[in-house]
Amino acid sequence: MANGLLKSDHAGTQRTGESPHLSGTPLRICFIARNTFREAVRDRVLYNLVLFVLILTAVAIFVGELSGGQERKIIVDLGLSAMLLFGVFIAIFVGVGLVYKEIERRTIYAIFAKPVGRGDFLIGKYLGLCLTLLVNVMVMGAGVSAALLYVNRGWDPLVLRIWAAILLIYVELAILTSVALLFSSFSSPALSALLTFFIFIIGHFSADLKGLSNSMSSSAARWLFSALYYLVPNLANYSFITPAAHGHIPNLSYVFAAVLYAMLYVVVILATATLIFSRRNFK
Amino acid sequence: MKMQKPRLPQRAQRSDRRRTFVLASIIAGSLLVTILIAHWIDSHRASPDLQVEEEGLYLAGNTLRRASLGFNGLSADWYWMRSLQYVGHKFLNAKTNIQLDDLSQLNLNLLAPLLDITTTLDPEFEEPYEYAAAVLPAIDVQEAIRIIRKGIAANPAAWRLYQHLGYIYWQRRDFQAASEAYGQGAKLPGAPHWMEAMKARMAAEGGSRNLAREIYGRMYDQAGDTSVKEMARRRLLQLDSWDQRDELRKVLSAYKSKAGRCPSSWREIEPLARALGLPVDSTGAPLDPAGTAYVLVKGNCEVDLDLKSMVPK
Repeated sequence: MANGLLKSDHAGTQRTGESPHLSGTPLRICFIARNTFREAVRDRVLYNLVLFVLILTAVAIFVGELSGGQERKIIVDLGLSAMLLFGVFIAIFVGVGLVYKEIERRTIYAIFAKPVGRGDFLIGKYLGLCLTLLVNVMVMGAGVSAALLYVNRGWDPLVLRIWAAILLIYVELAILTSVALLFSSFSSPALSALLTFFIFIIGHFSADLKGLSNSMSSSAARWLFSALYYLVPNLANYSFITPAAHGHIPNLSYVFAAVLYAMLYVVVILATATLIFSRRNFK
Repeated sequence: MKMQKPRLPQRAQRSDRRRTFVLASIIAGSLLVTILIAHWIDSHRASPDLQVEEEGLYLAGNTLRRASLGFNGLSADWYWMRSLQYVGHKFLNAKTNIQLDDLSQLNLNLLAPLLDITTTLDPEFEEPYEYAAAVLPAIDVQEAIRIIRKGIAANPAAWRLYQHLGYIYWQRRDFQAASEAYGQGAKLPGAPHWMEAMKARMAAEGGSRNLAREIYGRMYDQAGDTSVKEMARRRLLQLDSWDQRDELRKVLSAYKSKAGRCPSSWREIEPLARALGLPVDSTGAPLDPAGTAYVLVKGNCEVDLDLKSMVPK
């Protein structure tokens, strides 16, 4: 990672011919992101696609016998659920190692010896993993679509309709990646993975948190649960797998609001991570 | 420059080969033994305790829905397949020939909770409602009605749920309630015109064979579940067979009054059977709608289905 960045950074500076501190920042982020993606590919993260394809193939061939003719629904349910689950594991287990691995290998010293800000580093790492997840999700989405075409022996409207749900899954994974990165900026990988997984669970219970805050008699408890509801990302907003299996598409304003919420949430998380990471002393 | 692989001394090479052979033998041998042990365990396993098998489900649908972390659709699929396997397993183990809409003797205590959980996890999943309407009334009619009504509350625009509800009431011979259910469904946008017609016919001729034929015909056309489709097909065969047997009885009765005795074989009345439009086999016996020859019950001029016939009794 460090070598790649050093070469890339040199090339980038030469190309722009300007102060590396200002105009080079987006470029440096891009290089870090590209190297993070390459590292993920080198670490065989995308091998999970093989398992995914095997699962889908097995479902497409065998589930018809067990489901009473509900193969299409089950392929969408299973395919999108596996996409989310695999994505969550990648976001958590790769995400928590992004910063830690650089510290452990001491490559972080080489990186920060160059004019790379800590924020640039974190954002680059985040975008790199998001790119990995994007490739993962796109290939899996294509796999589910192909399985639907196979099962339906021809065109199926679900092939296109599931992509709105896939977009929401990807946005959920992007939020979770930022959370993993935040925890990894100050904690050990094991603890970060655990905390991120808790956020994933609590994020899907956020509707209950709101209900709990409304039903509490104590104002302090009400305040606490309301605060938790707004602080923890509402991941239930991105659960559109079940309606997608019935051919439903979320309306555009809903998708727009959900994506905007995610973007702002990620900005908050990455800013917090940068704040914490800037205060870390690597000497 | 090409690097040359250092040559191992011959002794070390031989030892390496021996180690590989020993390890491969251990792997293959152990695998073989585990297969044999698994086979032995399978053959010596005590038959499953019925009480344990039929133990009630611990989790309620709403709890499962909350705990599914957005995977509720997948969980619903799992419970749906479990429902089918549960019925299928009992069905296959049953010694007698039973119809899907009369499984009361199979003791399917878990079917209602399984379908209830499935429809709570995914309220838009239509097939479990269809299955509940077709199979569950023979086991627990009140639960069947409750599940369909729960589905109507969750999907107020789904006219097919009213069709299922009407079918349950019709089976119970509650033609007034069935007529109301069809009428309510007919008012929904997208409901076919025959729902309104069904409402009127249900009130006027609730117990007639023709109405039954129409109900099963609609069920056959629209069923998503293959077993429900098959059940509707067999009921349609049964209705056709009832009509055919009525006609054949008339022929037999006419023959008796003319000849003073019952026919000794189908050959004697083959032209009359052909005149009814029934296909006959090489012995002159008319064929039932499933293609099996009817049996002539000698002595009392009666016609019956062959034991091998696919038409329900």
